[in-house]
Amino acid sequence: MNFVIEHLSKHFDRKEVLKDISFSFESGKIYGLLGRNGAGKTTLFNCVNRDLKCDGGAFWLEEDGKRREVKAGDIGYVLSTPTVPEFLTGREFLKFFLEINEKSIVNPKSVDEYFEDISIEPEDRDKLLKDYSHGMKNKMQMLVNMIARPAVLLLDEPLTSLDVVVAEEMKQLLRSLKQDRVTIFSTHIMDLALDLCDEIVLLSHGELERVDKSDLDSQGFRERILAALREDGHE
Amino acid sequence: MNKTLRISFSLRNTYRVNGILYSLRQLPLVRRLIPSSLYRVRGLKIFANALSVLWEILSVFLGKFLYFITMVAGIGILYEKLPEGQVYLHILLFLTVIGAFMNTSLFNPTRDKYYAVILLRMDAREYTLVNYGYSILKVIVGFLPFSLWFGLQRGVPLWFCLALPFSVAGIKLAFSAWKLRKYERLGVAYNENVLGKYLWLATGLLLAAAYGLPAAGAVLPGEISMAVMTAFIPAGILSLRKILTFSFYREVSQELLSQMMRQLDSVKPEQLSRQQSRKAIAADVSITSEKKGFEYLNELFIRRHRKILWKSSERTAAVALLLILGVLLAFYLRPELKNPANELLSVSLPYFTFIMYCVNRGTGFTQALFMNCDHSLLTYSFFKRPEMILKLFRIRLREIIKINLLPALVIGAGLDVLLFASGGVENPFDYPVLFAAVCGMSVFFSIHYLTIYYLLQPYTAGTEMKSAAYRLILTGTYLLCFFLMQLEMDIRLFGALCILFCALYSVLACVLVYRFAPRTFRLRM
Repeated sequence: MNFVIEHLSKHFDRKEVLKDISFSFESGKIYGLLGRNGAGKTTLFNCVNRDLKCDGGAFWLEEDGKRREVKAGDIGYVLSTPTVPEFLTGREFLKFFLEINEKSIVNPKSVDEYFEDISIEPEDRDKLLKDYSHGMKNKMQMLVNMIARPAVLLLDEPLTSLDVVVAEEMKQLLRSLKQDRVTIFSTHIMDLALDLCDEIVLLSHGELERVDKSDLDSQGFRERILAALREDGHE
Repeated sequence: MNKTLRISFSLRNTYRVNGILYSLRQLPLVRRLIPSSLYRVRGLKIFANALSVLWEILSVFLGKFLYFITMVAGIGILYEKLPEGQVYLHILLFLTVIGAFMNTSLFNPTRDKYYAVILLRMDAREYTLVNYGYSILKVIVGFLPFSLWFGLQRGVPLWFCLALPFSVAGIKLAFSAWKLRKYERLGVAYNENVLGKYLWLATGLLLAAAYGLPAAGAVLPGEISMAVMTAFIPAGILSLRKILTFSFYREVSQELLSQMMRQLDSVKPEQLSRQQSRKAIAADVSITSEKKGFEYLNELFIRRHRKILWKSSERTAAVALLLILGVLLAFYLRPELKNPANELLSVSLPYFTFIMYCVNRGTGFTQALFMNCDHSLLTYSFFKRPEMILKLFRIRLREIIKINLLPALVIGAGLDVLLFASGGVENPFDYPVLFAAVCGMSVFFSIHYLTIYYLLQPYTAGTEMKSAAYRLILTGTYLLCFFLMQLEMDIRLFGALCILFCALYSVLACVLVYRFAPRTFRLRM
């Protein structure tokens, strides 16, 4: 399966944030999306998630050579600031989610098994989500997206504010999730991108561009990325 | 000192100007005309600056004028049997005491103070004192003309009219000095926006004394009111020393401003409403539900928000019931009231549109829905599937109608009882029409608020309200209800029209939601 974007564009006022985005993402890979501050990474995600209306262009899923439309359920989106319904407990949120998606979840496990998977302790499972820590909220958000098995998983700087242990757990989770789906991971931290991602894609001048790693060692690769990003000074 | 005043004024001015420009850009049509680089455009800036200066001058007098015309003189008219001058001084005395702790300006953490003291690191003591002096000066200057105008009209001696502004300033100074002393002893900074229960109690008692006593026919002799208020002046002068020598202004500012830092992260009222909404969540996890899926979500939501949903609807119903019983009691005690009451009731149904508008919980419901539920769930794709949106819409519509219907039932039935008790109506058909119309209005508002919420979804991911159309519709609803209040129409005609309108609107609203909500109900960017 491929996730294909063609000629996507979006402007705010007179500023063209996304000029001409065209790219084909392959399933089974984690793509690291790098870009300077304000380059339009979040805008791109919002367009793909249909929270923002694009000005032009299209995107679709390609399965066995056939195009199909991207439905709401095909996209999973994990935001940098985790958002969870704060009036529910962790257990209630999960129960609700499982019930709503009964039909689409293959081999459902019990609520507690899911909590085990993301190592949330038994005593925390019946607390209101508003009392969860940042990391725990983030895990919940990730868990829900994990269970939903979306074809495309968008992650907007999800690991930036987590402690090292949780961040490591999340990385493991992401690696275990990458089969059969496109994972696009936006970040500012180059080490993280190099460590976790199979491909590096730059968003600069409103366009997407793959950085070819083939003939370079990691230091050379790093320099190539930096040089490309430096070019993208703010007009 | 001059420099501090100049800097703080220009700081306040700058963000006021930018605020004006920002809101100009929020207007639907104007938006297209103004580029986002408008903050640089000189002409616009001069225009906004002029507005801002004008506002500063106007604000010195406008507030005081409104205060006198409504709170003091306006309500004073109600007590026509008592000597006018005496009532005027009586009310003024008690309100001045309330103002001393509710409106200190010294202990009011505001945005400009935050920018100046925390972000720009200005000298806290100098900044506070200069601004405090300026605001006390504004009090004196602002009070003077109205004190003279309203006072002389009511036979208050000239010397006291001249002294009154200083008396108001005096008690403010005295109260502030007292709170500063308290800080020195206990280290607790007073925040005039967060009153403790004793001060709320005091406010209640003082208000009761200001307006309740004259209603009961008791009013302080003018000489006493004047003597007490005159005494505020030396109290203020004596307090000056403390205010000028107090050495912990930096610490007090830090504490007050850091209290609101959390809210100030984005300095927007919507953050505040977010926090309030969060507080509204009952921490009781023993609340559970046996239902499944969306019904489960909904039931937990309603139960954990009981405080702002059902409780307040029950309170409204109880108050309405008490009022109705009170009127019945009045009928019993003073039968001569029945006739005018009957006449009034039989033409005042339009008036109840406004009352039903006021008691409706629709906006509170949708706000809590967004802040505590949809704000997060709308980021999950499963929640945005069209069939899910509509399913939840149906459940929520049912709930909001139920919540609002309780007071409507009480009010509708109560009106019928009152109408009957005051002499009845010519056509018995009026009773069911009246009852149905009141309930219809309640259903209408419920549907109305939920529909515009689903069709316009006005909030952004940052929980900021960002839809001019939404605001326009809310204002339009208010104005419409307000104007209906001026209308006098008999029950049957207005009731029938009302029921018809509500039925049509409900159908139309649901059709619109079914057609458009799957596309419109998402987070604003």
